[in-house]
Amino acid sequence: MAQQAPGVRIDGLTVVYKTSAGELPAVRNVSLTLEPGSITGIVGESGSGKSTLALSLLNAVQPPGRIAAGSVEIDGLGDVVGLQGEELRKARGRHIGYVFQAAQNSLNPLKTVGKQLLDLGRSHGVDDLRGLVRDAKELLGRMGLDGARVLDSHQHELSGGMRQRVGIVLALVLNAHVVVLDEPTTALDMITQANILKIVREVHAERGLTTLVITHDIGVVAEVADRLAVMYGGRLVEQGPTREVLGAPRHPYTKGLIKAIPRLVGDIDEARALPGRPPTLATVPKEGCVFRERCAARLDVCDTVDPEAVADGPRVVACHAVTVKEHA
Amino acid sequence: MITGTGIVKTFKQRGDVLGGREVKALRGVDFSIPKGGAASFIGESGCGKTTLGRIIAGLETHDEGEIAIDGVPMSSLRPKQRQPHFRKIQMIHQDPYSALNPTRTIHQTLYAPLALRARQTGRSKAWIDERAAEVLSLVGLDPGSVLARYPHQLSGGMRQRVVIARALTVDPEMLVADEAVSMIDVSLRLGILALLKDLRERLGVAVLFITHDVATSRYIGDDGELYVIYRGQVVERGPVDTVIADPVHPYTQSLLSAIPVLHGLEEPGEQPVVPLESLDESKADTGCLFARRCPFRTDRCESELPVLGRTDGVPQEHACFHPERRSVIARPVSAS
Repeated sequence: MAQQAPGVRIDGLTVVYKTSAGELPAVRNVSLTLEPGSITGIVGESGSGKSTLALSLLNAVQPPGRIAAGSVEIDGLGDVVGLQGEELRKARGRHIGYVFQAAQNSLNPLKTVGKQLLDLGRSHGVDDLRGLVRDAKELLGRMGLDGARVLDSHQHELSGGMRQRVGIVLALVLNAHVVVLDEPTTALDMITQANILKIVREVHAERGLTTLVITHDIGVVAEVADRLAVMYGGRLVEQGPTREVLGAPRHPYTKGLIKAIPRLVGDIDEARALPGRPPTLATVPKEGCVFRERCAARLDVCDTVDPEAVADGPRVVACHAVTVKEHA
Repeated sequence: MITGTGIVKTFKQRGDVLGGREVKALRGVDFSIPKGGAASFIGESGCGKTTLGRIIAGLETHDEGEIAIDGVPMSSLRPKQRQPHFRKIQMIHQDPYSALNPTRTIHQTLYAPLALRARQTGRSKAWIDERAAEVLSLVGLDPGSVLARYPHQLSGGMRQRVVIARALTVDPEMLVADEAVSMIDVSLRLGILALLKDLRERLGVAVLFITHDVATSRYIGDDGELYVIYRGQVVERGPVDTVIADPVHPYTQSLLSAIPVLHGLEEPGEQPVVPLESLDESKADTGCLFARRCPFRTDRCESELPVLGRTDGVPQEHACFHPERRSVIARPVSAS
């Protein structure tokens, strides 16, 4: 397990879905680097393309969707976009662990967790199945569960928080070092959520992982991620170190999103909802900035030119208003 | 408006040969929501908050205790006679996607309850259309553009507004919002919360929030009451801002400690409380229901059940033998 955490470089990734109106991009020209050993959080609302982006890491975008352009380079694996068939199947699970959005519902209700673990081992050609079970027990114990009991249980015998932990164990047990967690705490209670996030942080550090967390909840990212990336309408509009982005957001959407979170202290009237609504695949503007309809800092140029992602040290922002201000 | 005393509800699960298992959803809960008032029930899933909300909305029966609406005890009435009383209390469900009939336009959705009302009060058809437009305007939708649409043509936030508009067609005196914003996009949630607050202020409708998100409950207004429910028991009750700022029950403190801290904007509280273990209802409890998970338990907690009440120096009611203030919630980073 002394293996070094791999880095992931997503470059110019575009994913399109075929619809009656032609192929529409759900993810458009996204570049994002996951530094080895880091936790990156992607925040976005429904339809922002965050789950599609995450699936691209597994090259698992289902038709009618397809990766139209770009690459996803993973250290020790190469460009995932180019992988096919058996090669791709082996990479999933071995190199990339994926905890699905509805991990609570992604277990087979007819089989015990242990049987599903053995299925996983066999399909990936694990010779030492006993060792696999031992590893799984250890991981479960690490997460505060009784390993033997959990492996003997069917999913209905486990609580939501326990199933989520089982999902994480199944993603890690084949020793994957890139882990994607899609909405890891949705539908969980606050206390369980805090618990799961603590486990994610600890397991990440102990096993030397490169982790990507996808969520609609800024709070989740704030708790676990080193780096925060904000998606809107298929575009990555802002990214940077979590504390810096939260403390001093630059993109008008990030600013609005942070302002829209109800807080525990302070004047509640200070929190404001963003006007308008998030775009869907069909309503994303063909040209210009995706956020302009809801933007308070809108300029003329926003109507016609899609802002480029501009880097400034560790921060990256794609906004004309920000670029203009800084170069004025 | 509505009061409840000693509400008990037990669900019996059908079990195997050894007989069923009983789940005590509510263990003698008292509550009181005044006319035009506000309250919020918070707690983990399975704590009984939704069951209590459904009992209040007349969608569920209780086993023991008494519910009185505007002073009329419901036990004195036959089920049919209770209907007009419970009609004053309308529920707004969590999922605006399944709460609306997808085959009906918004106009048709609003028409049905309004037509009933028009028949009962001898009003004209024109009144129905007028009132439909009125309730839509009340929830911040443009009647002209929404009435002819189907639910799938609206965003989650707009649908939830339609659900609220439909509830308003019967002139309710109270709205019960069960996790009403949890399925709505983050950037739009606040709009719905502000709308409910606004309806309360403008129409004098009482509001009850049922939520696991404590910050949401502040939107009932600062005169609202917060009820912290744990395993069917109210463990802390008081003015919403008091309980959030100065909680004394270790369970409330654990809930508040678990709320993510926006590092960079906020710093965490100095004395976060983390429960010793996760909830396991299969084990029997002899004393305080929270004792097994409580980092501050004493021998007394394990043998005796504390009841909700007041003690010196604590403004809110609580059910703890050792109430103590702890700084658990995150504070904004001072703007230095």
